[in-house]
Amino acid sequence: MNTFLIDVGIGLATASILALSAVAFTLEYAVSRIANFAHGELLTIGAYAAYSGRVIFHQSIIGAAALAVAAGALAGLVLNAGLIEQFRGRHAITVFIATLGASLIIQNLLMIIYGAADVSYTFGQGSLHHVGPFLWTTSDIEVIVSALVISGLLYLLLQRTKFGKAIRAVAQDRVLAQISGIPARRVVMQTWGLAGAIAGFAGFALAETIGTFGPSLGFSYLLLTITACVAGGIGRPYATLGGALVIGMAVELLGDYTNSAYKLAYGFGLLVILMLLRPNGLFVGRGMVAVRA
Amino acid sequence: MSYWVSVITESGIFAILALGLDMIWGWCGDFDLAFYGYLALGSYMTMVLTIGKPVPPTQYILGLTLPYPLAIVVADVIVVALAAIIGAVALRNLREIYFAITTLGAVSALYLVVEVYTPLFDGYNGLFGLINPGQSALNLTYDGYRDVFMLIVLGILAVTYLVVQRLSSSPFGRMLRAVREDERAASAYGRGIFFAKYRAYLFGAALAGLAGGLFAAYISAFNPSAWTPQELLVIYAAILVGGRGNPRGVIVGVFVVYIGFIELTRYLPSPASRPEFAPAMRQVLIGLLIILMLRFRPSGIFAERAGGGRESRDLAAAKRAEVGADA
Repeated sequence: MNTFLIDVGIGLATASILALSAVAFTLEYAVSRIANFAHGELLTIGAYAAYSGRVIFHQSIIGAAALAVAAGALAGLVLNAGLIEQFRGRHAITVFIATLGASLIIQNLLMIIYGAADVSYTFGQGSLHHVGPFLWTTSDIEVIVSALVISGLLYLLLQRTKFGKAIRAVAQDRVLAQISGIPARRVVMQTWGLAGAIAGFAGFALAETIGTFGPSLGFSYLLLTITACVAGGIGRPYATLGGALVIGMAVELLGDYTNSAYKLAYGFGLLVILMLLRPNGLFVGRGMVAVRA
Repeated sequence: MSYWVSVITESGIFAILALGLDMIWGWCGDFDLAFYGYLALGSYMTMVLTIGKPVPPTQYILGLTLPYPLAIVVADVIVVALAAIIGAVALRNLREIYFAITTLGAVSALYLVVEVYTPLFDGYNGLFGLINPGQSALNLTYDGYRDVFMLIVLGILAVTYLVVQRLSSSPFGRMLRAVREDERAASAYGRGIFFAKYRAYLFGAALAGLAGGLFAAYISAFNPSAWTPQELLVIYAAILVGGRGNPRGVIVGVFVVYIGFIELTRYLPSPASRPEFAPAMRQVLIGLLIILMLRFRPSGIFAERAGGGRESRDLAAAKRAEVGADA
């Protein structure tokens, strides 16, 4: 058995969750032009919603996931209406600091509700499966498959539906989209709902994979998410998926071949290097115009 | 009485820290998330330079027994050296959110290394043992020492304030604000953007290192849980409340936020079964304070003052009349 390929398999599972979180972050950025520092909390809310579904309402895995999606979507809507839109027209860094404040509020409210101690809702990782050269648990496979399905659906939504077209228009120029008769405010709102739903699901998957989690689950995952977005190019959904794949694999493999305790540190190191060398993303070749920050 | 001595000492230390942070954020407009790391390094270094050889299983580097004041100076030099590296990398081309994220990435990587790599500063456990440095030399009782230490902190704060205030209205301070308002215009007037920002960054970090050295003696122990990103947000909140870019406002802001919040949150119910309730509620209020200040009064209690004559005052008034001095 080739251990390298097994590590690649684990990297794929890590990258799948990262891809979902990153694509949600990028959607938020695309329509509102802000880096949402409270993005991690959307994941945490999803995880706690699934936990409530499991432990309090005794839902199945499907029910728990649905609750995570619903709670994430709701949180995304509230965050946009209650905070982001209130700061519309303000300097990007001002909104960024405001979302940092929101992140502090949400984390600590969750701590007040659920307590500071870590919780868990394991559905059991399931048995090990050999899939080609890879070795995955049942939950790894579920995560990878659902990430693929969600990405596919997102692609269809963005490319083939009127709503997707409207999102792309607003992302390019909100004012122009408004003038052309697109209800920009509503489209931005709905995009936040969509991003929140994806983030909520990512939080559910992340918590299930990690096992135990606390109120800072999403916050500690945020920087890795941003790294994936920067690797792909912030604001460009498909490139972000690619960036997540690269970063997820890189972090997992670097961790496996040295000391896995430093996994996140490698991620942060990669972030700093990317920021300096390729701030517009890895995949921006000549002749392509990157979305400006 | 000793309760107030601790509150004032702690606020004084954080006021020194906030004056440093305000040079970077208030004057230059760079939202630095690595800043608390400089206080942490200042604290750690002061400890390893003073508390002597580690007793196994404890591990840490150096383990010297330098006199406390000398240790602070040496620690601060090391802090500035780290800031020189991070600043050189981050300030060169990165601005705004990109700068913020990069500094956060840098400090998070450092944080992880300090936590995981125990031979450095004993990982999660942190360091302990800098208890009332100089108490026996000064021949003081425990309470007497705490009083004297408070006065020393306030004295250092006063000197820091005078220097910073002086710098603030000097050509250097005004140049930094010109750079903040419009880098291209300032550059066209022949200002060296990078070095202006870089100097302010190093000065700010030096104040953080100094605050860290004082903090080490004040709490006599330091570990990773003492420098989570949340701690830095409180300082940003204090600067926002007091008035970004105005040294007097910054000091008032720190005392208002620290004493105000400590006093207010003392009356929060704190049931024995939920020990996390009061501290969590305090963080929620800090978050709310940041958002509300940014939304409704971004210039704080004391707005930044334009230095000099009538012309610049008119300019400042005109600026205030616009949408509001935005962050």
